[in-house]
Amino acid sequence: MKLFDVKLLTVTCEILAQKAILEILSKHGITGYTSYEVEGNGSKGIRGHGFKNEKNIKIEIVSTEEKLKDVAEEIARYLFSDFAIILYFSDVQVIRSEKFI
Amino acid sequence: MEVKSNLLIQMDILGLIQANILTPVVLFFLLGLVAARIKSDLKMPDAISEFLPIYLLAAIGLHGGLEMRNTGFDSMLIPMLTAIGLSLVFTLNHYQILRRLGKFNIFDSYALASTYGAVGAVTFSVGLSFLKNQDVASEGYLTAVLAVLEPVSFILAIFLTNLAVSKQIKSKKKSLSSDLGNNEKILGMVDQSKTNLSGVLRESITGKAIIVLLGSIIIGYAIGDKGFESISIVFDGLFTGAIAIFLLEMGIIAGQRLDDIKKVGVFLVIFSILIPTFNGIIGVFVATALGLSLGGAVMFGLLMASASFIAAPAVLRHAIPQAKPSLYITSALGVTFPYNIIILLPIMFSVSSIVHNVDGSINLFNYFGIDL
Repeated sequence: MKLFDVKLLTVTCEILAQKAILEILSKHGITGYTSYEVEGNGSKGIRGHGFKNEKNIKIEIVSTEEKLKDVAEEIARYLFSDFAIILYFSDVQVIRSEKFI
Repeated sequence: MEVKSNLLIQMDILGLIQANILTPVVLFFLLGLVAARIKSDLKMPDAISEFLPIYLLAAIGLHGGLEMRNTGFDSMLIPMLTAIGLSLVFTLNHYQILRRLGKFNIFDSYALASTYGAVGAVTFSVGLSFLKNQDVASEGYLTAVLAVLEPVSFILAIFLTNLAVSKQIKSKKKSLSSDLGNNEKILGMVDQSKTNLSGVLRESITGKAIIVLLGSIIIGYAIGDKGFESISIVFDGLFTGAIAIFLLEMGIIAGQRLDDIKKVGVFLVIFSILIPTFNGIIGVFVATALGLSLGGAVMFGLLMASASFIAAPAVLRHAIPQAKPSLYITSALGVTFPYNIIILLPIMFSVSSIVHNVDGSINLFNYFGIDL
């Protein structure tokens, strides 16, 4: 089976930053993503308990490197200063490359 | 009723505070606080902590709607407009205090100012159960005032923050006019920090709190006492018990934040106690002057005194993301909320009893109570 190389962008952030990130995704024409609630510890302390608004969320987006770099740049520029966010890239392979353009 | 009030006023404020601490609602809050401090693994299931605020809003909405059906709401307009006016004035006043005396930056000042100008539905529920405990009624339309007040002070704060950001853009434009190349990019960045006011307005009006609250007021008004009978076991019988459980959860969250209080600083802690006291007592006086009952004046004062800690983070994190949420959540939940329900509520009740002249010994505000 032929596999195609694409990138996976994983963003872990406070739940209240989710809306802003999804707006950035749709601005760059990315419609597919997966998100789930998570807990963890970091520079802003243990997060995930208490109010729903203080939970953390993890968003995974698979797309081309070029598009994801634009997205990451925009997140870094507008959201890094005000929200608890980390993000990283990884290499993944997919079967149907046309789904992730 | 007359005899009971007379008895009550004979207790001094301290006695009332002591009695208030020994109510189940406050004791459960303290239990949560202790559990969090000794690092117990006690934790509310997520679904319940999301469900309880909805239940409480529905219960106070129904209660308000029923009362409005029985007593009418012709007299609602003036107290409501007064509450909105006071809330706006208080928000501006908080901003000046925080900015000038507290030396907070613009964003933190506006966020804190609106947190303390806004109302707390949980505090309101505790107030209702406190009055129920004292066997004192309050005007039902105050629930409608609660719903209307919810977005008011946020909208003002966001509007003023936007204004301040616009000013910054203008001054940046001036200083950058020589360097045309970078101009647009930097302005775009500053522009991003402005928030769409109509978006915030729409979000807070269609938000779950307002929808449940207003919807329940309408349902309560429509069904009347007879229709309410069939659901009263859930919305009336369980009310105080549900608050007790919810306050256990609030106690846990507040306890986890106690360490952060050191970080918010002495100024903000003093602010979080003095401002509610000041606003609350003014609220009691104004409400009495407007002709509200003893219980109504306490609830009106509580509306003015309370700070928002569930709605505020959700709204402000989007609208003023530059402000530090640890400041406004910690001070509102960790300091003001316990102070309001344990100490200020009995104080306001005593003040309201005095200005309503139930004991007949103090005549200072006698003329306020003429037609009561």
